[in-house]
Amino acid sequence: MVSLKEKLLSDFEGLKIDDREADRLFIDTQKEAVLSLLSYLKKAGYNHLAMVSCTDWIDEGKFELVYIVNAYLSGDQVFGKKEKKCIVIRTKISRQSARFMTVMEIFENAEPYEREMHEMFGIDFEGHPRLTPLMLERDYKIPPFRKDFDTLNYVNNTFGKIPSIEQRKEGLK
Amino acid sequence: MDRNQISKWLKNPGKMAHKYSFHVVYFCTGCGIIEIPPSITTRWDAERFGIIPVATPRQANLFLITGYVSTKTLKAIIRTYEQMPEPKYTVAFGSCPINGGMYYDSYNTITSLDKYIPVDGYIAGCMPRPEAVFIGVTHLWKLIDMDKADGYKRYREDYVHYRANQEQLYGQMDWPPLFPVEKKEQANL
Amino acid sequence: MNIVALIVSPLIALITGLFFLGLSRKISARIHWRYGPPVYQPFIDVMRAFSQKSITHGNFFDFGIILSLTGTIVLVLFLPIGGLWALNTGGLIMFLYLMLLGPFGIALSGAAAANPNSSIGISRNFLLALAYEVPLLLILLAVMTDYNTISLVEIVEKQAATGMAISSWRLVIPGIAYFLILPAILGLRPFEITGAVQEIASGPIAEFGGKHMAFYTLQHALQTFVGIALFVDIFLGGGTLFGLLNSLAGTVWVDILEIFIFLLKMVLVLFIGLFVNAVYPRFRIEQAMQYLWKWPTLIAFVGLVIVAIIN
Repeated sequence: MVSLKEKLLSDFEGLKIDDREADRLFIDTQKEAVLSLLSYLKKAGYNHLAMVSCTDWIDEGKFELVYIVNAYLSGDQVFGKKEKKCIVIRTKISRQSARFMTVMEIFENAEPYEREMHEMFGIDFEGHPRLTPLMLERDYKIPPFRKDFDTLNYVNNTFGKIPSIEQRKEGLK
Repeated sequence: MDRNQISKWLKNPGKMAHKYSFHVVYFCTGCGIIEIPPSITTRWDAERFGIIPVATPRQANLFLITGYVSTKTLKAIIRTYEQMPEPKYTVAFGSCPINGGMYYDSYNTITSLDKYIPVDGYIAGCMPRPEAVFIGVTHLWKLIDMDKADGYKRYREDYVHYRANQEQLYGQMDWPPLFPVEKKEQANL
Repeated sequence: MNIVALIVSPLIALITGLFFLGLSRKISARIHWRYGPPVYQPFIDVMRAFSQKSITHGNFFDFGIILSLTGTIVLVLFLPIGGLWALNTGGLIMFLYLMLLGPFGIALSGAAAANPNSSIGISRNFLLALAYEVPLLLILLAVMTDYNTISLVEIVEKQAATGMAISSWRLVIPGIAYFLILPAILGLRPFEITGAVQEIASGPIAEFGGKHMAFYTLQHALQTFVGIALFVDIFLGGGTLFGLLNSLAGTVWVDILEIFIFLLKMVLVLFIGLFVNAVYPRFRIEQAMQYLWKWPTLIAFVGLVIVAIIN
């Protein structure tokens, strides 16, 4: 029987597949292939998007988006019981023009993850219905999870600038 | 009851009753809240000293802030503190409310709590064990005896400054000031 | 009417009620294998609450809690405590009416506070009252039919002559029914629905602080006292001890002794209620109503029919 890895390599071009780990399959791919890869995997039975996350590789000038999909039951029926349960898809997008396609058409539960990444990393997801603030209340010039956001400087300039009550009293005199 | 304390009870029953009847409202931020269940239940049994948790700030007289304070939760902390009836005492837990602790450079965690509300005592540690909480409470007893646990008085007197600090952090606030704030004093700053 | 009793009986009720609250905290602590607070802890709590500044939410907020406290004090005046009764004119019917005054005052206060948790607590409170009033009325009817009187004092006196009501076979069944609804009257678990701390932030008293909280604690203590004392008066013969003290009757010392016997009986009933309280989880309101309208009502009805046929 053809394994999932061989099948993926034959169906898609330019995939780097790493299957050294026991339970997880790592796929590095171009950003154009992510949507088709996700829908392919969903049809194959990997029907749960567990997580979408992002890493800021500031030296390369890239954001790395990570999609983790899981199979619970029906994955076995397609590829046999020995297949891996967890698939990690990694892709890199440019840091300067941080935009990507939303995957909500395939996995609807990607919505809060994408909103969070929009908020924390400033990535625009095209086709996302509401990219409104999710958690943050304050305004930040640079999204706070980017590596070039200087947190210590920010803290000193905002929270550190607030005087203590004793200083306020002295200022009053 | 200790027999030596009877004269104290007769002299100032209200103060002594405050000492031995702490109704606590916890603010469940951060990791400190993990230390609370063992200290109020069977293992350490805080009810021996009359310390029981209550559900609403109106019934409470001790406010425990258990861990780091993010800018969003600080709003809730200020509101809860203002809802408590006087006299009221605040004790902050762990190193995060003192100077930020391990969140000293976090983009949304305030570094020192006593700029925004008065704190009567800190329990240092990361996190303090329940024993440390009890020692903190006994220190608070001493402070109440010496009339030094006067955070609520300071809050009333210096409300202008506290409010100014809160407004510097948040801009316009959602709720009116608790005590009257004179515009003239604010303009001097 | 007795001036001394008029002053002494609310005092006894307040002190024993607060003592009962402390005892209940201590006993549940011992059941949890804790040391527990001192028995006089509620007195300290009340003192602390009185020394705190209170926040008012309008006139009804103040008025409601006062109404509730005074209503419960009036209730105590109609209640024979051993050989001590302040007013002997009231009957059980009026007692039933006055019993609603306590919850009603709290509800007025809670509604004036306009806290959503209070509103939920109030609706639960009245639903619970509605649920336990039905079996309570049937039980009291059975007792009144059996003794042929509506006066509480006469019921107690007849029991002194003939022995405890619960030991006569006709009133065993209503007695059991009363015992089943006793936790609901006292607000103990499994009927701790009204002031559920973890669910609705202590319900109607969510906005009470300072003096309001102190008044509420006093009212709660009195309510606890009244709930148990009614049971002791109707079924356990008040302060009498199987007619043993009848030969000594007339002196002041016997009256005081009867008060102590009465309080002892109350402690016994409280203990059993507390053990139930310690092991049961909390009902939901519809479960509580289902239970109260099914078993206690059925048992009380059977008891009423038996008593009616015999009379």
